[in-house]
Amino acid sequence: MAGTKLPVVQTAGLCKTFKDFWRRPRVDAVKDLSMEIHAGEVFGLLGPNGSGKTTTIKMLLGLLYPTHGRISLFGKPPTDVSVKARIGFLPEESYLYRFLSARETLDFFGRLFRLPKKIREDRTTRLLDMVGLSHEADRPVGEFSKGMARRIGLAQALINDPEFLILDEPTSGLDPIGARQIKDVIRSLGQKGKTILLSSHVLSDVEDVCDNVAILYGGQEQAVGSIDDLLCQQNVTQITMPTISDKTIREVKDLILRLEKTNADVTHPRHKLEDFFLQIVSQAQATEVKTSGARAGGEVPEFLKTATTTVMVDLVGSLVAAGTTPEPLVVSAMPKISKKKSDSTSGVLNELLGKEPVEDDAPDEPSASLNSDAPVAPTKPTIAADSQVIDSLLQGENKESDDTASSEPNA
Amino acid sequence: MMQVWTIARQMIAEGIRMKIALVFFVLIAAIVFGLPFSVTGDSSLTGAVQSFMSYSLMATGLLLGVLTIFMCRSLSDEFVHHQMFLVVTKPVARWQIILGKWLGMSLFNATFLLFSGASMYGMVHYIKWTHPPQDEVYDEQELNNEVLVARHTRSRDMSIPNFPALAEAEYQRDLEQGKYEQQPNFNPRQQRRSLEKKYEARWRVIGPYETREFFFKNILCDRSPDKEIQIRYKADVAGYEKDEIYRAIWRVGDKEKGAEAYELHVRHVIDRFHTMRVPANAVADDHTLKVTVVNVNPFEGEQQKGNVLNIRKSDGIQVLFIVGSFEWNLIRLLSMMMFKLMFLGAVGLMMATVFSYPVACLTSFTVYMLAGTRSFLEEALDFMTDRNGSMFSSASEFAIQSIAYLYNMVQWVIPSFSRYDAVEDFVNGRNVSLVWVLSALGELVIIKTVVILGLAIFFFYRREVAEVSV
Repeated sequence: MAGTKLPVVQTAGLCKTFKDFWRRPRVDAVKDLSMEIHAGEVFGLLGPNGSGKTTTIKMLLGLLYPTHGRISLFGKPPTDVSVKARIGFLPEESYLYRFLSARETLDFFGRLFRLPKKIREDRTTRLLDMVGLSHEADRPVGEFSKGMARRIGLAQALINDPEFLILDEPTSGLDPIGARQIKDVIRSLGQKGKTILLSSHVLSDVEDVCDNVAILYGGQEQAVGSIDDLLCQQNVTQITMPTISDKTIREVKDLILRLEKTNADVTHPRHKLEDFFLQIVSQAQATEVKTSGARAGGEVPEFLKTATTTVMVDLVGSLVAAGTTPEPLVVSAMPKISKKKSDSTSGVLNELLGKEPVEDDAPDEPSASLNSDAPVAPTKPTIAADSQVIDSLLQGENKESDDTASSEPNA
Repeated sequence: MMQVWTIARQMIAEGIRMKIALVFFVLIAAIVFGLPFSVTGDSSLTGAVQSFMSYSLMATGLLLGVLTIFMCRSLSDEFVHHQMFLVVTKPVARWQIILGKWLGMSLFNATFLLFSGASMYGMVHYIKWTHPPQDEVYDEQELNNEVLVARHTRSRDMSIPNFPALAEAEYQRDLEQGKYEQQPNFNPRQQRRSLEKKYEARWRVIGPYETREFFFKNILCDRSPDKEIQIRYKADVAGYEKDEIYRAIWRVGDKEKGAEAYELHVRHVIDRFHTMRVPANAVADDHTLKVTVVNVNPFEGEQQKGNVLNIRKSDGIQVLFIVGSFEWNLIRLLSMMMFKLMFLGAVGLMMATVFSYPVACLTSFTVYMLAGTRSFLEEALDFMTDRNGSMFSSASEFAIQSIAYLYNMVQWVIPSFSRYDAVEDFVNGRNVSLVWVLSALGELVIIKTVVILGLAIFFFYRREVAEVSV
């Protein structure tokens, strides 16, 4: 909870070595992992397959015991029953009882949290509505598709209105609607001040919702920091604006070439495929096409919402709004922008926007370029990056950026 | 407690939804409702009822034992299919999970036992009404007095002479007279045993025109003349064929102690159980009873060979008196069966916390078999082991003694089910005493089930619920 001084999660020198039948060490799944997750953070645990993400989560939940090292959740060991009352967990697969219906499943887990009957029933109804399975509430979960089962898995993770939510590959097996919905729920819970640990190798999911990430590889932490710090390309500038005429574009490019001695790419940005897909589905839903599968989810239940922020997860509404917004124009210029040059850059921008230059009194900040050999000033959270690993992990993302930015290699 | 009950409910729901309940319900129903039409016993009403009850109770016990072992798959399945990930990450202690599973399994078994008991009770009355009569009045009386009752009896109530003391006295006399000096390979232990057997045989065997008195103590019945006591026995008669009739005089009661004495002239079929009923005032004030057997034919005009009566050790004379109803006896019997299933459930769960389902099932079944045959195994091992021989005298001796040691190590945990097998007593209308039920409760549930559940909880806490996945 916000205001708690202790980190929600704290690990120190955490190791997990899997042993063979003869107790001989076989695989070091996690090696010397020390991390902290503070209240209110949406923390992403990233890494390729077999990097130790799930093993770390299982140790946090007390499903595996560490070989060495220490874990504390809310200042207590993970096996402490009182800690578990504050946690919600969505595993990588939906491990549900096939013979229970969706409603019975939520009721069963609600009982394990000792929720009073009235609250249990209320939350069950609301969560089923949220995950779009109200109409299938009394069908056995064993008959559900993988995606529908994942939705019930999410609902059971939220039945206790957890302070700390652990989501292991939350969008795995979900259609884009479900994936978006989970991300919306994460955002909503993050706004409420809940702490969330998200493990995924779907980088866009993590990028969309996380404040901070840790990247694991070979069971070791390779990088940790905020998304902005890790992903910001200090050597590329992007200007976004509503559509402008070809003439203005030519003038802008000329201006940039003249002042910065570099070419600029000017393109129209593309929608994400996810947004486009959701738009099509929402149109189909508007025409009431029948389906036995999951429907668009309802709102995030009131008990999961913050008191000050009402987050509507009305996908249709948001998509329609997205569809009517004028497409912005993106101008990208690749060369590394030094502090000295940035003055002239801002002058260009002011010229473009028809404004007077504004004096920037802000102190100079060191570049956080991942490729820079220069020492990086410690910020919070710190960046401790293995550039090769990050490059390999973010290859797809960078590729996309490169496509829209410039064909020039990074400085 | 809510969590324990939730886990138990879930276990019951699983049993019902996965159709396990349906299958066992059909099987038990087939046995209980089908047996009366295929089992007739010795064609008498009593025989038909006794055979039906005996078979249906044994079959139900066996089926529910299998069901209990089968139900332990619920726990191992949750490990394999990872539902346990979701349960142990909720605020439920692991001991609550084990206790909940055990409770669910026990409630499941209790439901089946009740169904089985109620069905059997109904079918007993169905047989009573529909069985073709041989001697309607006698048949029904016999059934009501000897089967559908709870009669008290204790074999140790009979006063038996001190055979070892008698044997020892004779042995010492013979030793003083030097009788054994000339005997090659003389074994004093064997000689004593032989003398002991001789005295016991002399006491049990009643020659022609001989009289033998048997004394019983602790006959704590209501001694009103309108109440009755029963004398039950089975005898061999030398020189007679099976199913032949022998004749004798039985006197029950001791006038010297102020009790009434009743003389019965009997024609009894050899090698069959017979029950004689006499008024309860034959029992003396000090709760003793004298039964005198006179091996004389009292029936004039009826021929009888010179017979030798042998009152056998295993099926000797018993004094019985009614202490309760058939219904309560049935409930106590079902309780005893339930205690065994509760123990077996704990074993199944413990195995499931350590092993995967097939192994857990196999090991639980082994424990079930060991518990069921413990008396037999003890006798067999005792017989095979040469107590005086060295363990290393031969390979076979080494193997046998190793097995015996191993068996002795585990037998403190594995109870003897036969010690608490009340089916035979129940079927013979003998009281399944509350003391017996409580001792079964104490050993099977309060001590051994708790120990086994404790082990299950210990293993579960030690166990990592997730497995290697790198």
